[in-house]
Amino acid sequence: MAQMNMIQALNSAMDAMLESDPTVILMGEDIGYFGGVFRATEGLQRKYGEQRVIDTPIAEGAIIGAAIGMAVGGLRPVAEIQFADYIYPGFDQIVSELARLRYRSAGDFFAPVTIRTPCGGGIRGGQTHSQSPEGIFTHVSGIKVIMPSNPYDAKGLLITAIEDDDPVVFFEPKRLYNGPFDGDPNKAAVPWSTHPKGEVPEGVYRVPFGKADVVRNGSDLTIITYGTMVFVATLAAASLGVDAEIIDLRSLVPLDVDTICSSVKKTGRCVVAHEATRFSGFGAELLAIIQEECFWDLEAPIQRVAGWDTPYPHAFEWEYFPGPARVGTAIKAAMEPA
Amino acid sequence: MSARGEYVFKMPDLGEGTVEAEIVRWYAKPGDLVDEDQAIVEVMTDKASVEVPAPVSGRVLSVTGTPGDKVAVGSPLIVFELLGSTDTAPETPAAASPTGMTGEALASAASTASTASTASTEATTKRVMTSPANRRRAREAGISLNNVVGTGPRGRIVRNDIAAASRSRTLPGAPPTTAATPAASEAPATSEIKVIGLRRLIAERMSEAKRNIPHFAYVEEVDVTELESLRAHLNSQQARAAATLTYLPLVVLALVRTLRVFPQCNVRYDAERGVLVRYSPVHVGIATQTPDGLKVPVVRDAGSLPLWALAAAIRAVAERARTNKSPREELSGSTITVTSLGKLGGIASTPVINAPEVAIVGLNKAVERPVVLHGAIAVRRIMNLSSSFDHRFVDGHDAAAMIQRLKTYLEHPASIFIADPSPGES
Repeated sequence: MAQMNMIQALNSAMDAMLESDPTVILMGEDIGYFGGVFRATEGLQRKYGEQRVIDTPIAEGAIIGAAIGMAVGGLRPVAEIQFADYIYPGFDQIVSELARLRYRSAGDFFAPVTIRTPCGGGIRGGQTHSQSPEGIFTHVSGIKVIMPSNPYDAKGLLITAIEDDDPVVFFEPKRLYNGPFDGDPNKAAVPWSTHPKGEVPEGVYRVPFGKADVVRNGSDLTIITYGTMVFVATLAAASLGVDAEIIDLRSLVPLDVDTICSSVKKTGRCVVAHEATRFSGFGAELLAIIQEECFWDLEAPIQRVAGWDTPYPHAFEWEYFPGPARVGTAIKAAMEPA
Repeated sequence: MSARGEYVFKMPDLGEGTVEAEIVRWYAKPGDLVDEDQAIVEVMTDKASVEVPAPVSGRVLSVTGTPGDKVAVGSPLIVFELLGSTDTAPETPAAASPTGMTGEALASAASTASTASTASTEATTKRVMTSPANRRRAREAGISLNNVVGTGPRGRIVRNDIAAASRSRTLPGAPPTTAATPAASEAPATSEIKVIGLRRLIAERMSEAKRNIPHFAYVEEVDVTELESLRAHLNSQQARAAATLTYLPLVVLALVRTLRVFPQCNVRYDAERGVLVRYSPVHVGIATQTPDGLKVPVVRDAGSLPLWALAAAIRAVAERARTNKSPREELSGSTITVTSLGKLGGIASTPVINAPEVAIVGLNKAVERPVVLHGAIAVRRIMNLSSSFDHRFVDGHDAAAMIQRLKTYLEHPASIFIADPSPGES
């Protein structure tokens, strides 16, 4: 099996789909001739031509609007929004058109559009290159919301997304592109080649939506997280010596409620962690569901770790990023005697 | 009749024309704070015991009756002091005289409560602090969190506190045997077990049945070799994990078939009217040993069920009886009872009729025995049926004929399942 980082795995997914399905096309800013600012589409325009790997103007509304039209016409567009921070000009197209096309046309039309977009901080990107807006999209009925945390899942989930007949917003935690990052910026970077999830098959395989990955089995408490925070949570629990069950959601919509609830019922304690801002974040939905489903099994209040309710700062990136120390505080609170 | 701030809770009508109920155990004692809907007393009617929830939140001022006492429906059971009325009516406790409790007794109850725990006095103004999981544990253990002292951070009740409360819970009115325990070295020569609850009911009903019913006992041996072969075959066709078939459902089916010819045995005797009520459906009572004692849950219209469904139904009613989950209607209404001691079945027994029925069929142990068959000794599986009949209404001849018919079905098990009417069947 090949060793790939997450960028190579995503590139491999798109390559495999371009090759196997002539209706798949890629579009986005700088994705063709240049190969993408993160190199995710490197070499694909050379291989499949300008008709299938299309450079677009810097106009996110137009990218998504055009993708919707192509999809209704029978193609499977994979649109890249260069940073999730720039997705908002296309937001109206996503919410008002893409998400509800099937509903509005009573099933006559549908749009198999995949929107790939890098998200999250930790790369000195400041407020305009660090956002995690997944919760804005999970709130919209009619779109699936995915966020992988490793190369293997990234490729399998992206193929599932492209093959899905309905819209998927596919968030790529950019800090994880090159290696698993546990939240300590002072440590030497770790490449994916050292991690089992950096082993990625060539060709087509799928990771299903709606199925969370139990990254670690444990009995003391459940940590529910996704994206970059999977590794942060793992480090935080390990450094406290807590036997945590760590759940990587991978798929936010549809959500694997069964895995979440059976784990919380088992441990009776829960920490929810995401990098996105806290207020009305996706964690709030997780807490609500756990409260509804697992109330009588809870030994302690559910804890929530998230980014602060401010824009992502330039200068105080590591004060903003919910690193292992903040997750550790939440773990301790969730482990209070019961 | 109650003073301001008091709530007199009367013994509720628990249905089916209950006129009185027996106190089984109290979950609260005078001085305790209870929450609305918290189980406060277990009472028993007929054969079902019921946990009665508190109708209001408040402090228990007095209770009527100790375990074993019968309290009439509608008579005062518990007097509560409603929360928040403490400061406005300091003389309220003395007004609790309807239940016969003196002011002095109440004062001592109140002082016991206040020395028992500071948590409980705080609880009048503050919510009990504990996790949802502990609230569930306390509810399942029948423990009032108001009576638990929290040892966790900021006085919170933690899991161990509930375990401790569960261990140390002493029931008001419990026999004083342990209180007066002498030095650990010398064990007491006697201990007293009050005959209350289900045990008293069993005792009463057994005495009544034996006193009123002239029992006619009849024992016959049945060759169940074929039945055993059928049973073994049916079990071998089942998935490994499936519950295995016992003789019981097969005997019940054969009995249902038999009773079509002997309707005089599928009867409930209405002594008041002097009427024998014959039933066309057979409601089979399944004598079941439970942790509390003998219960007889009922499988309704057993003849309407195919074999496996009947087996499942028998298991289900017995399991509910054992775990105290039988609905009231499942513990009454049988028209004939089957009793089986399984491996303890012995050679013969003299079962006591489950009045007002007129017959009971007992299964003894099936064992391989040497028998003479066609002039030679053969090894056959033999099971005795020990039955009792109410000789007032079932003549010995009919009783014997009925058991012979049942025997014939069991010795030719295919005939149990053949739909054509057998001779004598309507």
